[in-house]
Amino acid sequence: MSLLILENVTKRFGGLVAVDQVSLEIKHGEFVGIVGPNGSGKTTLFNVINGVFFPEEGRVIFEGLDITTLPPYKRAPLGIGRTFQIPRPFASATVRENVAVGAMFGTLSGKVNVDESLEIADQTIERVGLKEHRNKQAGTLTPVEKKLMEIARALAMKPKLLLMDEAMAGMHPNDIDQMVAFIKQVAEEDKIAIVAMVEHIMRAVVGMAEKVIVLHQGAKLVDAPTKEALEDPKVVEVYLGRPSEK
Amino acid sequence: MKKESTKYYPLIPVFAAYLVLFLIGRNVPGMWQLVAMLLFYCALGQAFNIFLGMTGYVDFGYVAFMGVGTYGMALAITKLAHIEGLGIAIIIIGFVMALFMATLLSLAVGAVALRLRGAYFAIATIGVNEGLRFFIEGARIWNGSEGLIFTAQLNQILGRETASTLMTFWADIMVLIIAVSAAFITLYYIRSKIGYALTALREDEDAAKVMGINVTKYKIIAFVTSACFAGLLGAASWALKTPYVFPPEVFEIHYTIEAIIIVLLGGSGTLLGPVVGGLIYGISKYYLSIFIPGFQLLIFAPIIIIIIVLFPEGVVGMLKNRFKDSALAQFII
Amino acid sequence: MLLEQLIGNLIQGLVLGAVYGMATMGLSLIFGVLKVVNVGHGAFIMVGAFITLWLFNALGINPILAVPVAFIVGMGLGLLFYYTIMQRLIKAPELATLLVTFAIGILLEETVKLIFGSEFRGYNWAVGKINLGITVLPMTKIYACIGSVVIALLLYLWFNKTRAGSAMRSVVEDSEGARVCGVNVGGTYALSFALGLGLTVASGVLLTMFIPVGINPYMGGGYTLKAFVIAVLGGLASPYGAFFGGLIFGLIENGSYTLFALIPGVEPFALTRFLSFAMLLVILLIRPTGLLRAK
Repeated sequence: MSLLILENVTKRFGGLVAVDQVSLEIKHGEFVGIVGPNGSGKTTLFNVINGVFFPEEGRVIFEGLDITTLPPYKRAPLGIGRTFQIPRPFASATVRENVAVGAMFGTLSGKVNVDESLEIADQTIERVGLKEHRNKQAGTLTPVEKKLMEIARALAMKPKLLLMDEAMAGMHPNDIDQMVAFIKQVAEEDKIAIVAMVEHIMRAVVGMAEKVIVLHQGAKLVDAPTKEALEDPKVVEVYLGRPSEK
Repeated sequence: MKKESTKYYPLIPVFAAYLVLFLIGRNVPGMWQLVAMLLFYCALGQAFNIFLGMTGYVDFGYVAFMGVGTYGMALAITKLAHIEGLGIAIIIIGFVMALFMATLLSLAVGAVALRLRGAYFAIATIGVNEGLRFFIEGARIWNGSEGLIFTAQLNQILGRETASTLMTFWADIMVLIIAVSAAFITLYYIRSKIGYALTALREDEDAAKVMGINVTKYKIIAFVTSACFAGLLGAASWALKTPYVFPPEVFEIHYTIEAIIIVLLGGSGTLLGPVVGGLIYGISKYYLSIFIPGFQLLIFAPIIIIIIVLFPEGVVGMLKNRFKDSALAQFII
Repeated sequence: MLLEQLIGNLIQGLVLGAVYGMATMGLSLIFGVLKVVNVGHGAFIMVGAFITLWLFNALGINPILAVPVAFIVGMGLGLLFYYTIMQRLIKAPELATLLVTFAIGILLEETVKLIFGSEFRGYNWAVGKINLGITVLPMTKIYACIGSVVIALLLYLWFNKTRAGSAMRSVVEDSEGARVCGVNVGGTYALSFALGLGLTVASGVLLTMFIPVGINPYMGGGYTLKAFVIAVLGGLASPYGAFFGGLIFGLIENGSYTLFALIPGVEPFALTRFLSFAMLLVILLIRPTGLLRAK
C-alpha cells in the first residue's frame, strides 16, 4: 500500500489556482524531491497534505485513509510531520519543551505523558546534536539551530512521512551536505518517507532523492526517477538560464 | 526526571505571600481593608492569567464573567430568600449558580468567539460584555438597570450579625480560597499537557495545529477555567461584600483593564506573576489615592506605558531570566 | 404618523451617521496600516471637542475653523506618540498595543481633566435651522455632515492621487511586499498613525457641532465603543468602509430606537445599544471583511 496518494488535487485562492490537478504517490520510506520555483505551488501542496488548507477538488489518501477534510491536528498523529520554510519555533519555550510538544501530541497513541515526552525529547535532541542548547529558549537559537530543532520536533512525532519545506534554504553549502546526509540516515533508520521541497535543482537534495517531482505554475510537470527527471527536456526548459548546480 | 515534591516548589512563594498578607490583615489594626483589596487583585490576576497569560488571547470583556457570577449569587439570594431555614446553604447555592452561569456564558462565547484571533477576538469580547449589559438593561431582565439589592434578604436569612461578618471578613476569605485554588490549577496546567499545548498555541497557533494539537479544545479549557474563577470572584467579592448588583458597575470595562495590567505587570503566563502584579498594583493604587486623590490615573497611565515598552516580560519574567541557572529557579515559574 | 416619525428619525440618523463615519475613519486607517486597535480612540475625539470649546469660548473662533486646528493638533500628537511609543511596539503582541493605546487615552483624559476640570461644558453657536416638515435640522448638524463628507472625499483623493497615499495603500495590502518594492514602511506607519489621529481629533470638532453640550474629559468612552461597531461594519481595516459603516450605524441607531420605543416595558435606548453590539458580533463571525467588502 502506498503511504500517500494525491488524486487530482486542486486548490484555489479566489481566482488564482495555486495547485492544479496534481496527482502523486509516495511510498513508505521513499525520499522524494519536489522542485519548483517560487510561486509554483509547493508550499500550498504541503498545506493541503497536512490539512492547513482543504482542496476544492481531489482527494488526499494517507495509508488507505481518506484524509481530504481531516483537520491538521488529527493528521499529525497519523504520522505526518512537517518543518517550515521559515522556522516556526514556539519561541518562549525551551528547545526541550518544543521537541516534547511533538512527542506529546504528534504520536498516534496519544497517551505519551509529559515525563515520557521530555525523555523522548532528550533523545531526539541528542540525535540532531543540539544537546548543549536544550534548555535555551527556542527563539534565541541561530537559524540553522532552529531548523535542526524543527527536525527534532518533527522526529519526536515518530512520523511516517516528513514534509520538509526548503529545509536547506540559507544554509552554507558544507552544512547542506551534512544536513542532507543526516536526514537521509534518519530516514533510513526510522523508515520515514521524506518529501523535501526545494526551489532550485540542488545537487545535494535532488541527488539523494529517488524520485523528483517538478511543479510549474501549480501543475505537475514531471514525476520520474531522479536521473530521468533531470534529463527531461521540459525541466530543462523551465530551468533555462538557471542550470542545475554542479 | 523531576521528583514529585519539587514540582510543587513554585507554589511556596505564592502561598508565602498570601500567608503574610493574611497575618498582616489579622494582626495590624486597620489593615484588613487593604489586605482584602490586595487579595482581590491577586485573585483577579491569577484567574485572568489562566486565559490571558497562557493563551495570549486578549479577552477585553473578561469582566462579564465576574458580572454574571455576581448575578448568580444575587439571584440565588433574592429568589430563595423566602425559603425557611436555608441559612448558610444559600451562599453555597449562590456560588453554584455563579459557577453555572459563568460556565454557560464562557462555553457560548468560547465556542463562537475563539474562532477569531488577535484584535478581532478582543473587539468581539468587548461586544459580548457591552451587549450583555445593554440586553439586561434594555429587556429589563433581572430588574434591568435598577439592579438587585439584597442586603435585607441577607440579614433576614443569616441574621444581622452573621451577615455583617460575612460581608467584612468571610467574603474576603473566600476570595483568598479562590486565589489559592487558581494558583493550584495554574501550576497543574503548566506542568501538564494543557500547559504545553497552550504555550505552543500562544507562540504559533498554526504550527501548533500541525504538531497535532487540538487548539480549539485547549483554548476552551483555558477560557472556561478562567471564566469560572471570575464568576466565583464576582460572587464572593462583589455580591457578598456589597450586596447589590447594577449592570453598569459589574460590566465596567475598567476592571478588565485592571486585570490586564496586573497580569502584564507581574509577568504574563507565569505562576507567581499575577500575585506580584496584584500586590504592586493594589498597593500603588491604594497609596496614590490617599496622597493624590483624583489624579492617581495621571500617574498610572505613563507607568503602564513605560512598563509595556521597556519591561514587557513583567517583574517575574525578568526574575525568571535573572535566576535561570540558580537554585532559585525552581521556585519561580 | 409613525412612518413620518420614522423617516424623520432616519434623516437625522443619516446626517449623524456621516459624522460617525468620519469619526471612525482614523481608527480604521490605523488598524489597516499598523494592525493596532486604538482603544484610546474616544479620548482623541474628546481632545477635538475641547479644542472647539476653547477656541469658541475663549477666542470666539468659528467651530468650522477649529477643524484644521484640531487636525494639526491630532497629527502632532500622532507623531509624538508614534516616535516615543508605538514605534517600539510594531511587532509586539496585541496585548501590548491594546493596553498602551488605552493608557494613552487615560493620559489624555486625565491631562484635560487637570486643565479644564471634569464638569460638563458646552458652547452655543447659533446659526439657525432648517425645517423639513417631518423633522427639524439645525444648521450646525448640516455643517457637521457636509464637513464629514468633504473630509472623507479629501482622504479619498489623497489616497488615490498622491505617492504617500498609494504607499499607504500598499502597506495595508502587504507590508512585506511594500517594503520589497521600496516603500518606506516605517515612515508610512508614522504618517498613518498621525493622519489617523488627525482625522479623529478633527472629528471631535464635528461631533460637538452635533451635540454642543456634554463636553467632558470622559465623553470619549462611548464613542470608542460606537467606533468599534462602525469599524467592524465597514470591515475594520478600510477607512471608506468605516465611512459607510457610519451611515449604516446612524440609520440603524435612530431607526431601531423609534421601533423599540413602541415595545412596552423595555428601555429602548439600552436595546439600541444592545442591537449595535449584537450586530458587531454577528458581522465579526459571519463576515469579518465587513458589510461592503470594500478595499
